[in-house]
Amino acid sequence: MAIRELKVCLLGDTGVGKSSIVCRFVQDHFDHNISPTIGASFMTKTVPCGNELHKFLIWDTAGQERFHSLAPMYYRGSAAAVIVYDITKQDSFHTLKKWVKELKEHGPENIVMAIAGNKCDLSDIREVPLKDAKDYAESIGAVVVETSAKHAINIEELFQGISRQIPPLDPLEKGNNGAICMHGGKPPAQARRCC
Amino acid sequence: MPFLLSTPRKVRRVKSTQFFRESCICYPSSFGLPESIFAAACSRSGQRVLHVDSRSYYGGNWASFSFSGLLSWIKEYQENSDIVIESSTWQEQILENEEAIALSKKNKTIKNVEVFCYASQNFQEDIEETGALQKNHASVTSANFSEAADPNCLPTEDESLSTLSCEVPAEQTSSETEIALEVNDAEETGEKGSYSDDKTSEEETSENVSTAEDTTEQPKKNRIAYSQIIKEGRRFNIDLVSKLLYSRGLLIDLLIKSNVSRYAEFKNITRILAFREGRVEQVPCSRADVFNNKQLTVIEKRMLMKFLTFCMEYEKHPDEYKAYEKITFSEFLKTQKLTPNLQYFVLHSIAMTSETTSSTIDGLKATKNFLHCLGRYGNTPFLFPLYGQGELPQCFCRMCAVFGGIYCLRHSVQCLVVEKESRKCKAIIDQFGQRINSKHFLVEDSYFSENTCSHVQYRQISRAVLITDRSVLKPDSDQQISILTVPLEEPKTFVVRVIELCSSTMTCMKGTYLVHLTCTSFKTAKEDLEPVVQKLFIPYTEMEIENEDIEKPRILWALYFNMRDSSEVSRDCYNDLPPNIYVCSGPDCGLGNDNAVKQAEKLFQQIFPNEDFCPAPPNPEDIVLDEDSLQPEAAESSAMPEANTETPKGSTSLGNPEKPSE
Repeated sequence: MAIRELKVCLLGDTGVGKSSIVCRFVQDHFDHNISPTIGASFMTKTVPCGNELHKFLIWDTAGQERFHSLAPMYYRGSAAAVIVYDITKQDSFHTLKKWVKELKEHGPENIVMAIAGNKCDLSDIREVPLKDAKDYAESIGAVVVETSAKHAINIEELFQGISRQIPPLDPLEKGNNGAICMHGGKPPAQARRCC
Repeated sequence: MPFLLSTPRKVRRVKSTQFFRESCICYPSSFGLPESIFAAACSRSGQRVLHVDSRSYYGGNWASFSFSGLLSWIKEYQENSDIVIESSTWQEQILENEEAIALSKKNKTIKNVEVFCYASQNFQEDIEETGALQKNHASVTSANFSEAADPNCLPTEDESLSTLSCEVPAEQTSSETEIALEVNDAEETGEKGSYSDDKTSEEETSENVSTAEDTTEQPKKNRIAYSQIIKEGRRFNIDLVSKLLYSRGLLIDLLIKSNVSRYAEFKNITRILAFREGRVEQVPCSRADVFNNKQLTVIEKRMLMKFLTFCMEYEKHPDEYKAYEKITFSEFLKTQKLTPNLQYFVLHSIAMTSETTSSTIDGLKATKNFLHCLGRYGNTPFLFPLYGQGELPQCFCRMCAVFGGIYCLRHSVQCLVVEKESRKCKAIIDQFGQRINSKHFLVEDSYFSENTCSHVQYRQISRAVLITDRSVLKPDSDQQISILTVPLEEPKTFVVRVIELCSSTMTCMKGTYLVHLTCTSFKTAKEDLEPVVQKLFIPYTEMEIENEDIEKPRILWALYFNMRDSSEVSRDCYNDLPPNIYVCSGPDCGLGNDNAVKQAEKLFQQIFPNEDFCPAPPNPEDIVLDEDSLQPEAAESSAMPEANTETPKGSTSLGNPEKPSE
């Protein structure tokens, strides 16, 4: 089976649970006070999709979203973006639209967008109706799902939804345009560990 | 006083406030390349880094912009506005035993900004970049071009090239305008359609594709209007600094060592060109090139190979050059068995120097370096990052952020606070009058006010950016990245570096080329560079030109500006600088980035002599969350993980030994 590497970038306000979603998806693990953002350039997980294996390279914001200082390079070459809001915080849903706009400005054109309404286990203090999210997602052609990283609800589904939206590989675009990836181009700096 | 941002939803970030107060290294600085590398190194070795800049973009003078972004940048410098931010609040933050060093609010590093548009630009006020956010950009544009006709930009009579500049052909295809307007509508109606250009994409795609094909196959039919440049503005990534990476340079080594290279992709420069007797030709530089070259005679090929082989290890043959050490490289070349043709190639295209500046040794060194870099990634010694040079500072900033560095754009710093007795800098005071303490401060030199820099002498860099419709040398394939060194006739010490980028570098739209010209300033950028521009290009017209062979690329749009070069300024030149304030210079005029890496590494070694400079981070697969490292006072998941005040060192030890990623 062919492995396709897909870069996925995470967007959304600080505290909505972006890192928790990745952590649940990649390591099936949830902590109340994780700090995976530190030290991790990106996390990877491979899932089968049809005839292909999709290797998600999930980039977290590394905290640069906090003061609205995300660098445009964050979006480069992303196949998909997960935009996260907190269903218990109306504010985070408002700013979601701002993230979508920013993504449109800096992101690649045919990026797959997925909206995740996180913390759905706290639906008794919900501020954002699911219908609002669905309407909005429809208007921008995005996948939408309510998730709970804490209770592992819909996390797999979120990424499956993305996988389904990824267009089949264009044979013309194989071999990424002749760009040089430095790891391949030279003997690696340290010896590869064999196991 | 705690550091809080004005928006209320950030109030809960108490920990990051503390983080701010206790920040170890503070950067009231642009996010330029040396600063970013230094920030990444510090953050990587466990220091807490706070990086603040009043600008709204990464990179400072190393930034790259979309077309609309560049237009706002131009506007900023053309308006030359004095933005005075109230400074009443900060005095009360200064204690009795302290004094303040005010920082400059205004960036004085860019001068003589001039814009010329040659592409048809009717109706441009209606046109908007697809997906652009700031709607005022398009209108800004039209204002700019009327400004371009103002006295200071008005072409003088003897400049034949510019006299055409502001004339706009009357015709404008209505279809283009319609498309642009539709895009506007889509944009207005908000977030409908996954992309605002979806609506028009079908018509547009067919149109664009045909244009792109036309460029290579039938250039005569190709017509590009200004509206199209605006509309496709996001396809441009226009660098303020035009540099390349030597494939065995310090920056490449650092990118690989630190694994920052995984954030970026690169392309090889495909052609080294020379401009000689009014013609552009390709320079053979590798062994294969030399043998495949059709212009050189067999004897020339042998001469060149022999000479290049000598240069590769010239140190081993001192007898061959010792006698010529006192003369220039060009004089030395004349003593070698080389035809004038070959001397020209070696001097300008390989050593990339002028007739009078380089000594024999410098020239040999440059030639050797060039040859040494050949073959690592391809047939030429240079690499260029996709999306432009401006990506590199961002990559290092991300590395810094990944290890806990805090980034704040649009956040200006009013002053540095210095303790009178110890002469040490203690804190900065930001735009909100808030005081942030730190141990070390790195300041980019453009932030210093005139009081601090009164004795500093700067050099200047002359820059031009052109959008053209075809390559300077008709390519055998349509995607070529070329570097061309053109010596100036007057003064003879100067050479102009021309780098031509094709659309697959992701720096310009299909069917166009982005051309960067750079030289050390002699006069203004336009005065310095226009003679070279005139030699290589002609202004864009709708007219068809009869003789295809002599046809030069046509300029659709041109920008000239001067940038300050502070790379040679020694720290001692600044008045009264406390020892824990470090200074970073802006970009230099050189082709490579070694200077930035050296600066960052030197500073880092100076402050943290025992630390490794940017070691590779653990691989994502190797990071295992360590339960023991979690903080006891477990907060809700809404607590900011990034605000964790633990030093990143803790988490690096969690990773297994690094292995190269696939």
